[in-house]
Amino acid sequence: MNSKKLTAKDFITIGIFTAIWFVVEFACGMLGYIHPYIVAGYAVILPIVGAVPMMLFYTKVEKFGMISIMSVLIAIIMFVTGMGFLGAPITILSGIIADFIAKSGGYKSFKKTVLSYSVFCIWVCANFFPVVVTADSYRQDLIDAGFSAEYSESLFRAINYKTIGILVVLCFIFGIIGAYIGKAVVRKHFEKAGIV
Amino acid sequence: MKVKLDPRTKLYMILIVSALIMLSATTPFLWAIRIFITFIPIAFLIVEKRYTSAFVFTGAYTLALIMTFVLVTDESSGFLKSFLTGYSGIVVQFMPALIVAWYVVRTTKIDEFMSAMQKMHIPDGITISLAVVMRFFPTIKEEYGSICDAMKMRGLSLGGGNVAKMVEYRMIPLLFSCVNIGDELSAAAITRGLGGTVKRSSIEKLRLTVHDWMLIMMFSALTICFVYSKYFKA
Repeated sequence: MNSKKLTAKDFITIGIFTAIWFVVEFACGMLGYIHPYIVAGYAVILPIVGAVPMMLFYTKVEKFGMISIMSVLIAIIMFVTGMGFLGAPITILSGIIADFIAKSGGYKSFKKTVLSYSVFCIWVCANFFPVVVTADSYRQDLIDAGFSAEYSESLFRAINYKTIGILVVLCFIFGIIGAYIGKAVVRKHFEKAGIV
Repeated sequence: MKVKLDPRTKLYMILIVSALIMLSATTPFLWAIRIFITFIPIAFLIVEKRYTSAFVFTGAYTLALIMTFVLVTDESSGFLKSFLTGYSGIVVQFMPALIVAWYVVRTTKIDEFMSAMQKMHIPDGITISLAVVMRFFPTIKEEYGSICDAMKMRGLSLGGGNVAKMVEYRMIPLLFSCVNIGDELSAAAITRGLGGTVKRSSIEKLRLTVHDWMLIMMFSALTICFVYSKYFKA
């Protein structure tokens, strides 16, 4: 089983970890109902909480394509759950770049894994892009769609042209921090138990 | 009455509904279309004898609709009010997609789904992974329930008030069991010849029936009406 081609086992691994990652994402997404500022906070929360399953996933990745397929799946799921298609190209692109970075480290180098994970995390920001790109019409849409003016005002105070750059950087930085935390957790629990 | 829809029709339904809910409804006519497409999957849930979920969805959606139209004005302020209006707005916005997704996941068998994807020439990698994702959500829920029970029995549910501990105590056992289930799943799948080089045949015969064509036409017509009245009539 040393071939470069992905096997059914790899696809199943991808499916499982996508499901877990999505459950984590959904649980965090619930917090956004409380206040719009938390929506911007996804850039911090998701990379850290999601790091644990992802680091475990990285220990199972040995072939090119697994991270890319995962990002395609995430794009599909985000579309189905009504997050729009504007973020999809960015999601898939960040997944493919992350895949290349991890590949250059042979999927074993820890430094490359950290870098790859933090690039992967940029997809979280992809969800904000519809808000930024179509800001004016989106604001009207939100008010028309029944969000109160206050909600949309605070949403745009938190997410606009000026802050999107900061959010991407935040995603990246917390991706790195999250990767270290995730690695520590994986080492603490899974390597001792001999699962990895 | 028994109506069995082709998985391809269901996927088309998901596509249309998620596309439509992203365009905002501004006039009563657009709202009517949007509400109408929400009640189609609910009707199918009733046909499939899933009365409880149909009832819950109808209740939640109607409540949110009423709240949106009655409570919300542009001047609404105050924490509770903005919370409530924001909340009902989100429910109205995303509920249709949720209902359709729920309906499709609950009523499509995995082998039907696989052979439909194969007929549409989607690469195997995406098909298998998506099928696993679909199948896995209920498993995660079940495992999570067991973990919570075990924690309750030992009085650990709150993790000593430490948020990081609370997350850790839930996530680590969940990951453990998911990894094990994954290994079993791939063993089972390989035994059934998944990942072989030959084209897999399927026992499910998929055919688009009259119902499917009717639904597809209806959804296409609704989309055209929606887009036309939103962008060209104004």
